[in-house]
Amino acid sequence: MSELNQTVYVVEDDEPVRDSLLLLLKAEGYATKGYGNAAAFLEEDVVNLSGCLILDIRMPGMTGMELHKKLLEMGCAIPVIFVTGHGDVAMAVEAMKLGAVDFVQKPYREEDLLEKVKQALSMDAEQQEALKYKEKLKQRIESLTPRELEIMDMMIEGNANKVIAIELDISQRTVEIHRSRVMQKMGTHSLAQLVQMVLAARS
Amino acid sequence: MATAAINVIKKVSRQDQILLVDDNPANLKILYETLDGRGYKLLVADSGEKAVSIVKKSHPDLILLDVMMPGMDGFEVCRVLKQDPETARSSIIFLSALDDTDSKVIGFDAGGVDYISKPFQIKEVIARVETHLKIHRLEQQLEWKNLELQTDKTSILEAMSEGIYGLNRKGQIIFANPAACRMNSCEESELLGQSFTNLHFNHSHIPEGDNEYDLDRITERLQRVLTNGESLKIGHAMFSRLDGTVFPVAFSAASTSSGSFSTHAVVVFHDISEELEQEQELERARQSLDAQRAQLAHVSRLSMMGEMAAGIAHEVNQPLTAIVNYVRLAARISKAEDLDRESMTSTLEKIESQCLRASQVIQHIRDFVKKPLQGKEIVTGEQLAHDIIELAEIEAKEHGIELVTKVAENLPNLNVEEIQVQQVALNLLRNGMEAMEQAGVEGTIDFSVQVLEGSNKVRFDVSDAGPGVKEEFRESLFSPFFTTKKSGMGIGLTLCQSIIHSHGGEIGYQPNELGGSTFYFLLPIAE
Repeated sequence: MSELNQTVYVVEDDEPVRDSLLLLLKAEGYATKGYGNAAAFLEEDVVNLSGCLILDIRMPGMTGMELHKKLLEMGCAIPVIFVTGHGDVAMAVEAMKLGAVDFVQKPYREEDLLEKVKQALSMDAEQQEALKYKEKLKQRIESLTPRELEIMDMMIEGNANKVIAIELDISQRTVEIHRSRVMQKMGTHSLAQLVQMVLAARS
Repeated sequence: MATAAINVIKKVSRQDQILLVDDNPANLKILYETLDGRGYKLLVADSGEKAVSIVKKSHPDLILLDVMMPGMDGFEVCRVLKQDPETARSSIIFLSALDDTDSKVIGFDAGGVDYISKPFQIKEVIARVETHLKIHRLEQQLEWKNLELQTDKTSILEAMSEGIYGLNRKGQIIFANPAACRMNSCEESELLGQSFTNLHFNHSHIPEGDNEYDLDRITERLQRVLTNGESLKIGHAMFSRLDGTVFPVAFSAASTSSGSFSTHAVVVFHDISEELEQEQELERARQSLDAQRAQLAHVSRLSMMGEMAAGIAHEVNQPLTAIVNYVRLAARISKAEDLDRESMTSTLEKIESQCLRASQVIQHIRDFVKKPLQGKEIVTGEQLAHDIIELAEIEAKEHGIELVTKVAENLPNLNVEEIQVQQVALNLLRNGMEAMEQAGVEGTIDFSVQVLEGSNKVRFDVSDAGPGVKEEFRESLFSPFFTTKKSGMGIGLTLCQSIIHSHGGEIGYQPNELGGSTFYFLLPIAE
């Protein structure tokens, strides 16, 4: 996880709450960074952050909810854990629907929070992993010739070699050669896996 | 007696009456002829006795009276007439052959105004008669005027409901009007000769907290009235009566520098029992009103706190959250192999400060909702502003609106019931925030405190960025049961106004540049 360089970001207007949380996270071994308001956090390159965001829902100026919406608009996919007060559970549920990872209610149990942080970070790691894999697949797909790409699309649709040969008016043997090239370039032996890869790359 | 005298004077006709008295018919005839036809009404008598009886009946203006007569002589007649007030008014001129100085002296002593020697010159008689009639008329007019004045004065003094004393140089009562006697429940004669101060201040009934009215002080001050011509005015004192009972009075004493010789000072006083009673009644009503206002304010604060519950919970949760975090941190530090004492100490200090923070919030809330009628206290303007802001912050966070505060430095002291003033400010702030929230507008709510220039008042302003108050509603803003809120009783601003007025302040509304509302109130600076 550490090679991913993940940081736990904390946006919380209340100084003692922020300070205590940052110290606790630091003691747990996380890299941390704190912000007193939403605007300060937005100064970061939010789209390329790695880690998770602990966000107070109730803040003067831009609220946690508003910041979250803004981040989504900007294409920032960092997992968000909302911290809510007593009466904000409904708001938190709303936030969850919009894609927040989770929420904790103040005052929270350390274990609960740390558990959620851990989940958020692994989710972030997965997301990053998935992103990298997708990138790799895209590169592989790009390495195919137009003919190979054409044949791969027809393979994925479930056409037999014979059908592809007739459709493209080429010999069945030629189809077989292209097919093994595709499998080789995409790094797989099974058609099922190929289907999965292409779907993942194009998602 | 005065009335009788008036009646006598009224009987005087326009035509002057002259009575001629002589035992000698020849003399009478000459006198009669001398004066006849000159517009006088002439009466005659040939003896002293007859003269007296005619005077009693007719009250002539002038009597020409022969001295030497058998029976009652002229001097005797004069004395008799002058002794009786009914007859004393007629002027008497003696006629006599006696021309020695002694008899003239006797005549003047007896009350005569002039003396004509026999044998008389007709011209002299006429001249003297004319002169004395004129003098007589003037005297009568003067007397008439005097009586009129005296009667006026008497009836005024009698009619006055205020008690009035005339005091002599020694401060003794030499006159008391009927009202004074009535208030003292005694006769004028019982008051006369009494020392004013000894009579009325011979008691220990000094109104509390006021040593102004004890016997020594009063005596000294009255002395200054009597000798230096100062005046004395006391709004509330107790007069003792002869029987030892007391009654409350307001009184004033003034010297009569230009008055009659015997009166040196006049004391005017009236019984203020009823006024005191009414004052007390008023005071009781005021107190009961105060108590009701305080009660209402208390209930309103409780309900306000209810509405602010979410914000308050948040405000307590914040330090609790920090505390929990710090405690966990401390636990970790203590479990580490090398105990980092410095971190431990700093963490524990942070825990302490957060505990205090939480307890302050709770204390503040408790102060805010505690029982009414704490009474007014001197607080600094800064303290008051600070306490208001602390509660307002909770509400601002709850509404997600930024609270911008501007508190002038070196604010003076105020004599206020702090909780109630906090309540007013908080009420105005919450109204502003609700207005902004309802209208869905962005912006800040501003709270400022400063001394109003050129006055002895401190001005508190609450300005919002909401939609403002429509012109047609502005007049009714502070009326009870007037509200534009969906769920409002219309009590808030009325109560605010009542609270501010009870502090001798003002409260008002004005639209601001942002199109929002500015509510302000002014409180007088403590002396």
